[in-house]
Amino acid sequence: MRASRVLTFARYEIRRAVARKKVLSLVALTVLISIAPYYALYATHTSLVTPPLRPYLWILGVFLPQAFFLQFTALLIAAGSMSEEYEQGTAEVLLSKPVSRQEYFFGKYLGGYALVVGIVILDVVLSITSATFVFGPQLELGIEPMILLAQVFAALVFYSFAFMVGELMRRSSLSYILSASVFFTSEVVGVFLNILYSLTGTDIYKVANYYLPTSSVDSLPLLLAEPNFPSSVQLVFRFAATPVEPSIGVSALLIAVYFLSAVLIALAYFSRMDVAKRVT
Amino acid sequence: MTDDPVTHHNLTSTLQVDERATTSEAVISFEQAVKDYGPKEIGPVTFSVGRGEIVGFLGPNGSGKSTTIRMLLGLIKPTSGTVRLMQRDPLHDHVRALEQVGYSPELPNLQSFLTPGELLELTAKELGLGRKETDDQLPVLLEDVGLIQYRDYKIAKLSKGMVQRLSVAQALMGTPKVLILDEPMIGIDPAGVVQFRSIFRDFVRDGGTIVMSSHILTEVESLCTSLVVIHSGRILFRGGIQAFIRERLGSRSIVVEIADAPALAGPGSALVDRISSVSGVKRVTPAPAGLLVEVAPDSDPRAEISRLVVESGAKLVGLGHSRSELDEAYISAIRGTPTQ
Repeated sequence: MRASRVLTFARYEIRRAVARKKVLSLVALTVLISIAPYYALYATHTSLVTPPLRPYLWILGVFLPQAFFLQFTALLIAAGSMSEEYEQGTAEVLLSKPVSRQEYFFGKYLGGYALVVGIVILDVVLSITSATFVFGPQLELGIEPMILLAQVFAALVFYSFAFMVGELMRRSSLSYILSASVFFTSEVVGVFLNILYSLTGTDIYKVANYYLPTSSVDSLPLLLAEPNFPSSVQLVFRFAATPVEPSIGVSALLIAVYFLSAVLIALAYFSRMDVAKRVT
Repeated sequence: MTDDPVTHHNLTSTLQVDERATTSEAVISFEQAVKDYGPKEIGPVTFSVGRGEIVGFLGPNGSGKSTTIRMLLGLIKPTSGTVRLMQRDPLHDHVRALEQVGYSPELPNLQSFLTPGELLELTAKELGLGRKETDDQLPVLLEDVGLIQYRDYKIAKLSKGMVQRLSVAQALMGTPKVLILDEPMIGIDPAGVVQFRSIFRDFVRDGGTIVMSSHILTEVESLCTSLVVIHSGRILFRGGIQAFIRERLGSRSIVVEIADAPALAGPGSALVDRISSVSGVKRVTPAPAGLLVEVAPDSDPRAEISRLVVESGAKLVGLGHSRSELDEAYISAIRGTPTQ
């Protein structure tokens, strides 16, 4: 596998994704989500924002999109990555050149993922800038690179899953629907299991909740961040989610297992199957 | 398309596969290649293409042309048999097999968000061309296919014919040795067809090989040196165009164009009688522009006919085989019966 060809396809994938209106809409939404909460809090003069909280409000913008928006963005970018090439008949032209299927596969995978990382970074930068501009200097920013890494690592789960579904289905609409269904089902089942555990105290519900993909995705950045902040700031974290996983290790391991499984299945399928003609 | 075993039997009984190139010379070879789609099977396909040929790949819709081409490009895996492109397995040795191969698909669906310039740059990167090579080749190719002024337009804004031209340009990027063209003339205006013919002839003159599928038989006849005819997934014929026509047609037609034809070559004229007596001539029919001479498929009395016309004092304007012969031979082949 040649790095130059992987890079060529990665750049191509970024270009292709950006040309789609839905990705541009997601970027616009990122800007809105990153900026709007600060101005809303400022405008409403809410008593929730006490002076001790103000230097930590950057974490609100960083964590608010974690549970839903970032995962959904990753999913939307990945679901069409392979499937749209089949639908438009462009996979055939790209793969009729002296490039290996692995170069094409990883190039597209990494290109789309780079876009997800770019959106996460955009969210972080805008959140910190807005928090500073509206509520003054922010503290504990040194932890942010680690949180960022955790967020982009966690995003691999639904990104890879949607990428896999796109390759297996080879229909973009089916891929979007199926990937989004799994994501929402996991979120809803997680809430349901949490309620059952609270009501019954039965461990099986808690353990089952560990293995839901959304649990590890939501938990990892929170587990990494929370110990670094004063207890008075925990209220801000509650806006994002409550960590489900018992430890950073378990959370990271589950994320790795989920995303690697999806990548390997997609790669095996793509390497063995025929390159489909244009489908409509 | 139905997969009628009786039809297959009839067709394969007339099968003629002319191995024009030995395996060592062949740039393309299929050996009992089969693609099984479940209800439909393409193959077994066996033929080869030698260096320097322009091969017309003919067959009705659904006959297996695209499947055969896609097996050749390593896009689909044959169920059995072997396929070689540049003497390599295009599926398992894809990169090296396709290093010197250009492909233009049927109804090209190119990336609408790119410009022609960007698409050719992408192709150059896939081929591993350097900056200088890309900068040298790109404007020349766009000029050759008549798209230089559209270099920075989005492909989405180009007409169907322009996209087809661009598809051929991307196939030519990187100076390939083999071109595989799936219906390259579709949607191309007459000036573009002339331009493409010239490009393809130059390509072969420089040592290239072309396999071109087409439904435009006059185009195949004017450009190709040999044919592969496929029907219901089976190869019906592999060989020269004239050999195909001779094999399929019970007789051949020669059109003799004569100035002032009604006066000199009318019914019962001396010229008609003389030509009728030439060996191999079956029938001579007066036509508006001269004469239509039916001859036995294995004879070629054109020189003799030409001499008789000149000796008769008539002015010979043109003489050649009827342009519809390949059409008739092709229809005969796919119907499985020789035309009388």
